[in-house]
Amino acid sequence: MAIHLENSNVATRESRIGSITGYIGTLSDLAKQSGCGTLKGCSRCFSQSSSCLSTCALGQLAAIRDVAIIHHGPAGCSVEGARRYYLERTLAKKRGVTNNTVYVGTGMDENDTIFGAADTLRQIILEVYRRYSPKAIFVSSSCATGIIGEDIDSVVDDVREEIDVPVAAVHCEGFKSRIWATGFDISDHAILSSVVKPPRQKRDTINFKNFYESARPEIIEMFRNFDLEPIFLYCNSTIEELSHISESLATTCICGTLGNYLGNGLEEKYGVPYIRTINPLGVAGFETWLREIGKVTGRKDKVERYIEEQRAIYIPQIEEVKKELKGLKAVLGMGPGYTFEVSRVLNELGIEVVWALAWHYDKKYENGDVPPSMEYLLDNDIDFEASVADQQNYEVMNILHKYQPDLYLSRHPGSTVWAIKNGTPAVYVADEYMIFGYKHTLEFAQAVLDSIHNRSFEKNLARRVKLPYTDWWYEQKVDTFLEEAGR
Amino acid sequence: MGELRQIAIYGKGGIGKSTTTQNLTAGLVEHGKKVMVVGCDPKADSTRLLLGGLAQKTVLDTIRDEGEDIELDRIMREGFGGTKCVESGGPEPGVGCAGRGIITSINMLENLGAYTDDLDYVFYDVLGDVVCGGFAMPIREGKAKEIYIVASGEMMALYAANNIAKGIRRYARTGGVRLGGIICNSRNVDRELDLLRAFSKELGTQLLYFVPRDNIVQRAEINKKTVIEYKPDSNQAQEYRNLAQAVIDNTKFDIPTPMSQERLEEILFEFGLMSDDYNI
Repeated sequence: MAIHLENSNVATRESRIGSITGYIGTLSDLAKQSGCGTLKGCSRCFSQSSSCLSTCALGQLAAIRDVAIIHHGPAGCSVEGARRYYLERTLAKKRGVTNNTVYVGTGMDENDTIFGAADTLRQIILEVYRRYSPKAIFVSSSCATGIIGEDIDSVVDDVREEIDVPVAAVHCEGFKSRIWATGFDISDHAILSSVVKPPRQKRDTINFKNFYESARPEIIEMFRNFDLEPIFLYCNSTIEELSHISESLATTCICGTLGNYLGNGLEEKYGVPYIRTINPLGVAGFETWLREIGKVTGRKDKVERYIEEQRAIYIPQIEEVKKELKGLKAVLGMGPGYTFEVSRVLNELGIEVVWALAWHYDKKYENGDVPPSMEYLLDNDIDFEASVADQQNYEVMNILHKYQPDLYLSRHPGSTVWAIKNGTPAVYVADEYMIFGYKHTLEFAQAVLDSIHNRSFEKNLARRVKLPYTDWWYEQKVDTFLEEAGR
Repeated sequence: MGELRQIAIYGKGGIGKSTTTQNLTAGLVEHGKKVMVVGCDPKADSTRLLLGGLAQKTVLDTIRDEGEDIELDRIMREGFGGTKCVESGGPEPGVGCAGRGIITSINMLENLGAYTDDLDYVFYDVLGDVVCGGFAMPIREGKAKEIYIVASGEMMALYAANNIAKGIRRYARTGGVRLGGIICNSRNVDRELDLLRAFSKELGTQLLYFVPRDNIVQRAEINKKTVIEYKPDSNQAQEYRNLAQAVIDNTKFDIPTPMSQERLEEILFEFGLMSDDYNI
């Protein structure tokens, strides 16, 4: 799929790569239908939750240091700015840098909705530039501006003549996609089209797309073994750093959902290879990923040496913990970039996945391939029941009630709380590097062990909590509210 | 004084809604009725003939310039025969949302107490088709319960009328809105009267009145007057008086039965072609 950087608008994941939010079946069927092109998403006649893609898009951009986000919409739609202000400053402090990014809402009112507010927007952009001297300005649309067809592109084109830093229009009307991860693509598109410059020289760097760079020091240390320097994107990135990412030797990511668009875009436009292996979670994932990086950057020997050293330290320890995990049954619910990767790691640790929920599913990645994590599971004869549900908690609860697993895993905190109230021990896979490499795979295995060793908390809580779901719902099939499902 | 009748006039763009509404209003005034005309079109030209020109500052422009704390007389002017004239107004072409503007504007009129007890009729002269929720505002929430569609024998006018009927049917289910009939603003096309009668019947309504074509309407418009004011003794002035009488007397209000495109084309084919010896 070609990436069209000349157009500021990005097509949704649904239309670009056939992503879906409704499916119930098995992993093998999901992959088979993805491969032959027959996969069709189902809609729900009852939906309990969703999320706005602009949170993903603007959250990514606001994490960049010293930029301005101008959210053109009613004040309520800009409320994310308050959370971002706190989050970005905390993350900067944690790393020991400062982030002076500002998040400004234009506060559209009823008159602006009727008459359009392009002139006001223009003044606000110029004032934000004058007052805060940001290194780049991202001007975002909202549902209200989308409905009235506000011509943000023209305003942005117009002010570029008066502003000597990158200014980009970011089209993220919340209603345009049910898949909030479309927001990641929108932020990547803005960076690729407005910030990244053509390469002048190649550098021994590797672009590493992640969320919060929590394992930054150890990953820098690891890459030092291969004479590579990682550039973490976008949290605490600078515009200067981002302008040079076309000069890196490769691009990789901690989550395929997060990094897919940028990786493919950099490869397509500037020839920067995108590492398309399974992710560096678990032993197989970490080794496959490292070896591909070694191959692409011409550092095979160094990588093999590193793998050998590290295996000697960690594999015996991991094997030891595995003995106690064998035979456990797990259900997990996560974004698709993690669901099928974590399923693979659980299998590696001897834990049986009985059901995996992905909050959405990308039929194919930007290069047209079925996501590598799916391919890996099928090649290794691993199959389980799978569904695609955009955080529909009632479906999770139905599954937990039916299967009574030993463990529920999720990357979304609200989700694990519900499992615990149901009496199911839960592991909150919060940190993106929680299962990264040998060391964290070991720690993850130990965390799982801790969670199941003492279940009194879950048991006691479940005994005292009355959940809103009735027996009727627990007796229903999981796909009761899924329309057009192939039952 | 009877109960207030709130009437919305819809029809294809350029069909003559504003001209018909204002001339009809002039006819009602002659019958001693108190009328308010609310223009629901960003062009703000729905009260030009009653006011003798585009002398009206629109509701939305006033709110934008002066805020919402305004007096009614800032947005309402008196026109021919004591009619109350209001223009909703709206954004420049190509920007903003005119539909939202109409919603805001009508709410503002209500808040300012424009709907006084002495009124017999309120007319909403709505831009073109029911293109979105904003343009359906006059027929939502129990405002206008009576709709007339202005049409002619031209195919696109009937096509638009059929579409508008779909909008009316939607609101008829939940509210009390009804179609009072079709007003034909004649374009002198083949067998226009027969065609409009057949179309109205199929739509489950009546042809309320057939207004013949007369160039005096054009001359009155250039002079910024209704025909009744410009040439009170002309035949066309009488036609508008008759139309006013037809509206006053009308008791037939229906939920329309919009037809398929195929059925509409069948009717056009059956009635819309002049046989050699036919003379209207």
